[in-house]
Amino acid sequence: MIWWRPKSEGEFQIVKEVHFWTTSKERERERERERERERKMKKIILLTVLALLLAMSLVAIGCPAPQVVPDEPAAVPLRAALERMRVATTTSLYDTGLWAHLEPMFEEEFGVELDILYAGTGIALEWGRRGDVHAIATHARAREEKFVAEGYGVERVVFAYNYFLIVGPADDPAGIKGLSPEEAFKRLMETGAGRFVSRGDDSGTHGKEKAIWREAGFDYEVVRDAEWYIEAGRGMGPTLVMASEEQAYTLADMGTFLAFKADLDLVPLVTEGDILLNVYSVIAICPERRPRTNIKMANNLIDFLTSPATQRLIGLYGVEEHGMALFTPAAGMDGK
Amino acid sequence: MTEIWQGFVKAIELIVSLDPEVMDVAWRSLRISAASTILASLICIPIGGLIHFRSFRGKRILINIIQTFYSFPTVAIGLLVFLMISRAGPLGFLGILFTPTAMILGQMVLITPILLGLTISALSGVDKAIRDTSISLGATEFQAIWAIIKEARYAVMAAVTMGFGRAISEVGCALMVGGNIRGFTRIMTTAIALETTRGELELAIALGIILISLALIINVALNIIQQRYT
Amino acid sequence: MFLLEVANLSRKYGKKEVLKGIDLRVERGEVVALIGPTGAGKTTILRLLDLLDPPTAGKIYFAGEDVTHSPRLKLETRRRMALVFQKPVVFKASVHDNIAYALKVRGHNRRDISAKVSSMLNTVDLADYRNRNAQTLSGGEAQRVALARAMITQPEMLLLDEPTANLDPLSTSMIENLIQRFNREYATTIIMATHDMAQGQRLAHRIAVLMNGELMQIGKPGEIFSRPRNMKVAEFVGVENIIKGTISSNDGGVVTVDVDGNTIEGISDYRAGEEVSVCVRPEDITLALSRTSSSARNSFPARIKLIASSGPLVRVELGCGFPLVVLLTRRSAEEMGLQIGKDVYASFKATAAHIIGEAGV
Repeated sequence: MIWWRPKSEGEFQIVKEVHFWTTSKERERERERERERERKMKKIILLTVLALLLAMSLVAIGCPAPQVVPDEPAAVPLRAALERMRVATTTSLYDTGLWAHLEPMFEEEFGVELDILYAGTGIALEWGRRGDVHAIATHARAREEKFVAEGYGVERVVFAYNYFLIVGPADDPAGIKGLSPEEAFKRLMETGAGRFVSRGDDSGTHGKEKAIWREAGFDYEVVRDAEWYIEAGRGMGPTLVMASEEQAYTLADMGTFLAFKADLDLVPLVTEGDILLNVYSVIAICPERRPRTNIKMANNLIDFLTSPATQRLIGLYGVEEHGMALFTPAAGMDGK
Repeated sequence: MTEIWQGFVKAIELIVSLDPEVMDVAWRSLRISAASTILASLICIPIGGLIHFRSFRGKRILINIIQTFYSFPTVAIGLLVFLMISRAGPLGFLGILFTPTAMILGQMVLITPILLGLTISALSGVDKAIRDTSISLGATEFQAIWAIIKEARYAVMAAVTMGFGRAISEVGCALMVGGNIRGFTRIMTTAIALETTRGELELAIALGIILISLALIINVALNIIQQRYT
Repeated sequence: MFLLEVANLSRKYGKKEVLKGIDLRVERGEVVALIGPTGAGKTTILRLLDLLDPPTAGKIYFAGEDVTHSPRLKLETRRRMALVFQKPVVFKASVHDNIAYALKVRGHNRRDISAKVSSMLNTVDLADYRNRNAQTLSGGEAQRVALARAMITQPEMLLLDEPTANLDPLSTSMIENLIQRFNREYATTIIMATHDMAQGQRLAHRIAVLMNGELMQIGKPGEIFSRPRNMKVAEFVGVENIIKGTISSNDGGVVTVDVDGNTIEGISDYRAGEEVSVCVRPEDITLALSRTSSSARNSFPARIKLIASSGPLVRVELGCGFPLVVLLTRRSAEEMGLQIGKDVYASFKATAAHIIGEAGV
């Protein structure tokens, strides 16, 4: 169907003339105002976004205000503004709970927030080398001495020691009970009876284990290929738990063993031998090598650990719970 | 079996009694993951919009790469971020390693691919006519992108929720760049990892319950959002 | 000065030429209908005019300025026009927010937006739907929202892409009324694509026929329908009587066309011997029961083959050596007592016979 109503020409003309004179000028002004508004909007949006990002970052950085320890509520509001000091410690010290015991005392005395990072000696040393921590507390003499010699550490300060021990299942399939550490390892290698769980994490304990294998006359690379040899790749606590599960032998530090003993199905088998001595020392990171380090606080920590009061506390730590001390205070003693 | 049961009962006690340590760790987890999700969203959603909006050479490949990074191992991200912000690294001057800021940064890097990728696919679901309509109505490029994002708001919210889920549940990166410092950078996942190895099972189970409940809430929310969306 | 001037506008998609050298000038306040079959390039031309897609060649001048590729003018120019799509598109938001969108992106304040939207809601008769989710609206309502959303800024030029293509008759007439109102009240220049010729005739001051990407003819609706430029246009605009023949003589502009022995007289410049088509509009033909001495130069005895109702009219098909369709009012059909098989005389004036050459012009 085709049908149309042509529009009158006149109507079209009038429309054209009446409206456009007035509106086009108004429109021009309106557009100018719009552009102005838009410029303002852009600025506002940009500023808002920036302010938002800034605020969030501040919140993020400011959010540390920790409220863990319920018995010192008064300190909470102040803490956000406190100085922070960072120490990397070996897992054997951390897992015994010694650090958690000493931390509040140090923080109170020096008005600092002590951040304790736990890791194997290898990683702790690496963090120190990179300048990510201000002090390290480890137990691997040779590597510590090398660390100081390379200029990363100021000085190796001994503050405690205890002994390593070889633990294993009560039935002792390889029959190592009462032997010297070197003899015991020889026995393990020769009989191949029972299994051995190694830390396998480049920690101080792992280093000690390798040293014993060397003293016993074996190449560590050969030992680790043995079928009965398991590398856990974890901290002292988990390694002990694993050895208990597997009913295997392992080398452990006295402190951690005592701290975990209740949950373990393991008994001490080899406890005597010079090589089993386990010396803990603390090293401040050298400010000449790593300028951003907090050497003042690192020195405070060393002074704190070697002070008579703290030394006494270290000597008493664990007596109540385990019936014997986990560590022997050793401030002022040299390396061995 | 009794051990698990006892642990479970004690864990419930810890939660019900609002144990300060459990609450502190859970609250920090939430704060850090929320911060990283919000910051990453503020960056990723507009960029995702821009990638969706513009056509350029290699766009397909870029999207493929982004999607590949969805399941990038968290420890690898952790290592990368560690190397960047360690004192000896290029961003070492910031001094943020082993702080919550570092964890937020790590989680942001971690969830960026998910946020970007899911934002892009959320926006792809929007009718192209929406974009033409907003442009023809005088929107600038960013206003048009914003209009598209608003159209896909439920799918974008789902993307953000997914990002948050991944952020709060990861452990590798948080451990490497946060250091699991008690009262400072210890969050639920790192606490669970530590307490389990120490045999402190009650605490680990309590935190695990909170984390699972959170995951459940997130999933339910996600489902509701998606139902409304489709 | 023309509000819109388009010169040699072309667009290719890959190798396919969708638009071929379009030239078009539109005055302020004018309504131009783009008509053409599906795929003729109507949507493409509107998208180019709205600067959504860039042309492959050619220029677009808006208010005298070349806006074809200028990034500076792109947004500004776009903000002086608006495009409504064929498929009603609404944002996932309330009716109010949909209509407010163009003002929002231009940074108007809340009070201004609220006032303008309220007035526009009344105009499009959707005041009760203000807070409804726009996605729950019917097609016709959604298209009204789309139209309101486009008109809220009172753009100088409104582009409409088949705005009533998928709507029911009632919605269609509402939309058409709105289009007319906007043109009258705001003097908005409107370019609308449609495949509905009747709609083009109802709304447009001028009609442009687009076929296969080419602008075939542009002119006043009467012109297009009574004097299509070539066969394609004639067929598309629905000229029902297209009679092929050969010009036998041309006497000072009055030609005689030989159609299988019959002769039709018409006005044309074609010379004798040329093959032509004669177009006669059905409503220009009169029927009589006997041969009358009317002024009509063409009169043929014919027999009625078919009678059909067509709305208020009656459509009669005749045979008179060639087929002929005639439209007349129901009353005159009844008065003459027309029925199939009856013999009548069909007459039309020489000026009613529009003659098209084979090649077209």
